[in-house]
This record gives sequence, structure tokens and C-alpha cells, in this order.
Amino acid sequence: MLEVAVVTERIDATRLSEKATENAPSNYNLNVSLSEKSRSAETLVLNFQLELTTPQQTAKITVAGSATLKGTKEEIQAGITAPDDSRPPHVLLTIYERVYGLVYTVATGIKIPTPLPNLLKKAT
Amino acid sequence: MVSETGVNMYSGVIRFYSLADLRKYLKELLERYQREFDRSSNVIGSLLRTEGQKGMEVIMSKGWAKVGSIFVNIAEPDKGSMEVVFQLVTEMKPRLAKTEEVLKTFESVEQLPIPEEATFLLYLRGGVPERLVVDTTEPKPTPYALAGKFNLGP
Repeated sequence: MLEVAVVTERIDATRLSEKATENAPSNYNLNVSLSEKSRSAETLVLNFQLELTTPQQTAKITVAGSATLKGTKEEIQAGITAPDDSRPPHVLLTIYERVYGLVYTVATGIKIPTPLPNLLKKAT
Repeated sequence: MVSETGVNMYSGVIRFYSLADLRKYLKELLERYQREFDRSSNVIGSLLRTEGQKGMEVIMSKGWAKVGSIFVNIAEPDKGSMEVVFQLVTEMKPRLAKTEEVLKTFESVEQLPIPEEATFLLYLRGGVPERLVVDTTEPKPTPYALAGKFNLGP
């Protein structure tokens, strides 16, 4: 079974405008970047960066770190492959799920809207 | 089940995508063997130092009895445990030496004319690196990368 270990190495959150409040509607865009750091037969280590910004540029949150996938070659391949063109791969869902608690806490702490908890599909 | 001492002497084939990864693996393997060897031989050493005048008697138990196909020791559990640790240390020594030798001479493998796209199959027998296949039939996978924008939902 595929195991995914996520380590957050950096989180930056900025309140760019006074218009950004906890009660403002949450409509972040999520920009994702995943890149391979190292690979062995049963392990794949990815660097990730998630950048959350509001369309009005009122708040910005950046989370970076690494995700280690452990499993067979087939399990790893399945973990990084998107089920279709519009949906995110399993590893990205896991990364977002694992960092969400921290993102939520930080957003609440600096009084900006909290991002929504589920990563849905590729933006068009 | 709790492992008291010893390392899993793995037999199998492991694929590596670079010689650097293979070297790193061998180094970690050797460190693991060395740690376990030191730990077990310290136990024996300390016993021999305290009761050294009695020689190997303190390690060799006479309480073994063959039950079915296995030797069982009910009479002298302390000595029996010491004897199996001693046996383990004796068996680990050549494995440790062989792994150390492979790592020491690994430079000669690195100097071979190996194609850029090759991957490597390492055959371990009882925990000891025995053979290496330079595999050009299964090339390295393309490095994974993903970039894109995603929507969030409740």
C-alpha cells in the first residue's frame, strides 16, 4: 500500500489588504508546483509548493515542503497519475489534506479568509 | 513479536536509478550492520570482562535439548541467550567485512563505462551485496513534474 509522508518546510502568509478579513468570502486560487527531488525503486521524493491567492490580491499563502511516497513502482506511479485531465493526482490531494490544518491556523491567526478544505479540479 | 537483536539479512534484488543512490544505500547498510555488530559484541565483551576467568564457559550453555527439529533451552536462559548472541556476532562478522569491502572498492564500479540511461539491479544474498546488473533495458523514468491551477471547494 502506498504511504505518503508530508513534511512542511516553509509557510508564508500575507495580508495584502485591509479588505481581507476572516469573514470575507473564501475564493482562493491554488497554484501548484510538484517536482521530483529523488527516486529509488520503492521511494519517490517530491518537492511541493502550493500558492494560494485571492483573485482581488488581498491575501496570499505559500506552503512548501516535501512529500515522500513509499510503495511498489506501480503504487507510486498510480499515486502521481491523475485519474483524468481535470482531476488532481492522489499525491496532491494528500499533500493539501495534510497541510490544510496548518494553513487554516495561520489564516485565522492573521485574520484573512480561510481557504476551502477540498481540492476539486483543475482550473480552466 | 519484538526483535531483540540482529538485523534482517535480506535476500533479494533492488533497483537503483543512479550509482550515487546505490553507493548511499551501501553506506547506510554498512552503518546498520556495524551498529548492530557493535551492540551485540559489547554485550558479549562486557560479560567476558566481568567473568573472563571462567573463559567461554560463561557463554556456552549445556542446557540445550533437541525438541523436534529445534534446540530448546529451558534450564539456562541467561547462558542460552548469551550463546545465541555470540553465534549472531560470529555470523555477522564476515557479512560486515564483505559489505565493507564492496563499499571500499565501489570506486572501480563507478569508473566503468556505464551508459547514461542505465539503471542498476543489486542482488543481495543474506544481506550481503553479491552481484550488480547494469540494466540498459529498463531506462530511468522521466523526472516527475506537475504545475497547474486548481479549484478549491467546501
